[in-house]
Amino acid sequence: MNRWRAIGAGVLAGAVIGVAAVALAGYGDPATPPPKRPELPPAPRPALVIPPPEGLGRETGLTRWAPLRRPTPARAAPSSAARVLARLSTRTPERTAHPLPVVGRRADGSGRLWLRVRLPILPNGTLGWVPRRAVGGYELVRHRLVVDLGEYEATLLLGDREVFSAPVGIGQARWPTPRGEFIVRNRLERYQSPQYGPVAFGTSARSATLTDWPAGGFVGIHGTDRPDILPGEVSHGCIRLRNADILRLAELMPVGTPVVIR
Amino acid sequence: MSELDLAALDRDGALEEARDGLSRAGFLGTLAATGTGALLALADDAGAAPLRRSDVEVLNYALSLEYLQAAFYTEAERSKALSKRAAEAARVVGAVERAHVKAFSSLLGRKAIARPRFDFQGVTEDSGDFIKTAVAFEDLAVAAYKGQAAKLKSGAVLASAIGIHTVEARHAAWMRYLTGVQPAASAFDEPQTRAEINQVVKATGFVSSAPRTSARRSPRYTG
Amino acid sequence: MVATADPRARASMDEAPIRNRSSRAELLRGGACAAGLALAGVTGVGLPGVVGAAPSPAQDERVLNLLLMVEYAEVGFYEAALRGGTLSGELESFAEIVAEHERAHLAVVREALGSAAEPEPRHDFAAATGDPDAFADAAGRLEDLAVAAYNGQAANVTPKAFAAAARIVSVEARHAAWIRSIGDRPPAPDATDQPKSAAEVREGLRKLGLQL
Repeated sequence: MNRWRAIGAGVLAGAVIGVAAVALAGYGDPATPPPKRPELPPAPRPALVIPPPEGLGRETGLTRWAPLRRPTPARAAPSSAARVLARLSTRTPERTAHPLPVVGRRADGSGRLWLRVRLPILPNGTLGWVPRRAVGGYELVRHRLVVDLGEYEATLLLGDREVFSAPVGIGQARWPTPRGEFIVRNRLERYQSPQYGPVAFGTSARSATLTDWPAGGFVGIHGTDRPDILPGEVSHGCIRLRNADILRLAELMPVGTPVVIR
Repeated sequence: MSELDLAALDRDGALEEARDGLSRAGFLGTLAATGTGALLALADDAGAAPLRRSDVEVLNYALSLEYLQAAFYTEAERSKALSKRAAEAARVVGAVERAHVKAFSSLLGRKAIARPRFDFQGVTEDSGDFIKTAVAFEDLAVAAYKGQAAKLKSGAVLASAIGIHTVEARHAAWMRYLTGVQPAASAFDEPQTRAEINQVVKATGFVSSAPRTSARRSPRYTG
Repeated sequence: MVATADPRARASMDEAPIRNRSSRAELLRGGACAAGLALAGVTGVGLPGVVGAAPSPAQDERVLNLLLMVEYAEVGFYEAALRGGTLSGELESFAEIVAEHERAHLAVVREALGSAAEPEPRHDFAAATGDPDAFADAAGRLEDLAVAAYNGQAANVTPKAFAAAARIVSVEARHAAWIRSIGDRPPAPDATDQPKSAAEVREGLRKLGLQL
């Protein structure tokens, strides 16, 4: 016990003297009177480096979607008495979550929030209202895919910047690719259908002519085993890219990206 | 854990508290006996030296709460549904919480938890709901930092935690003032354990999971 | 097993004057040998993160006496303001409630120190009894100073003192944001609160009117 005390005392003496010696090192004058008692140690330098707080800045080109949380009727107006336009389910035909583009919001008479959303129904471009509680958390997207049917070109924009562009095949005259604003709803891969290439994106756009198509006749964006016929009017409505291009796009474009087809 | 899994946090929190025998002073007290190895381990030059595992745990817990707050204020600001004063608070406090997230993420590097998903269920889109929830979040953050700070081994990390702790208290007072409630309810603020904090957060239902948006199946698009 | 030094021996080491007849090199060598450690890692206050002295009951006492001065100042300031009679409405309510809080803080710090508590210094808080704007401004500075004082000492105290101080410091921060809100000033403009050293705290208290 005494030995430990002695060692401890010696160590502390050494530490204190060592510290004091260095503290005095700056004075250079051995005759400077010592402080009456040691000053309290300064606070340690913090480990966290906190950057200056920044505002959100100009947020142009931001769109938002939310996944449907429960089966819900989409209505013509923000009221539970309004006409039902469609009965939405929480899953797409591919069994993935159902993202709904949110384009507006309103509180009803009793203060309940309703969201205006793009509906994946015909006619394309139909908007409807669902209660806020029916959807989950908002996801924000900064990308936008623009498909120019006249130019046979797909361009991915991030804000104002073009980050990808490629030639595309679009629907033949009998099965035209619909114009309008849609959303990338899901992403499929590791499948065995070469006519869709290595990866395929589903959109909320519906074929107006292939109304009896299994799984709803939704327009996809995917690869192809016939790159030789691109660009051109070649498909049943889908937007086809060469496989190398769809793979590049897949690295950049998140599900939920708005798709503008014009 | 890759996401804010509250059930897991709960369990780990209880375990951590049981396991955490060494108090900070106790550790520093052993310096004298154990020599330079311990001294060098303690020499946390900001970000340069490796973080102790238990400090990483505490930092990630703080980060999870900062993610929650940052997301809450950011969404509220973007909603454009708030009164003038509430909107100003969301703007200023949101910027600070986002800076906190960057700071913790940067310090933790690869060890930082992933950003969780949140569903604020309209609370960020109504001025009254927003401000009431903001009060609760800030009071919670104060209690959380207070509860966790005592566990930190590194002086440098502790210095960071306490500097943020008092800023959260300022936020709490500010939000209370906006609701017309007394900014400092009593002379003393109490710490809360992880279990208590997690229970409150879980009860909000704000922490959600990432929706599954991809699959391995053959496309049936029109083609 | 923690090797603890005899507290009496340690206290006398703290108080011992440096033998300034020796050269600095001799002092460093002597220190290192006595410790039986390579003290190369310890360059004292310059090395970030390494505290100059470990927390101890003796150091707690010095820290608490510093914080005691802060609490003396706060109680004195608010009581002077309330006696002064120039406050009304929201500012008066603020001063009444906060004075109560600060009295409670003072009691806790005094109790922790027991007989080691230093006596209350004289003070002259001119701003407290001046016009309401001067009061509000000084109150904000005083509360900010309290936050910086507590935060500056957090790494210097034992867990027990830390826990007690932690319950107090966040309330000081609330006070600071509160008075700024009343004055329509930004209540919390910074991302983090910077600590102040003991010397800076004493200087700040003197500037506000505490005669240290």
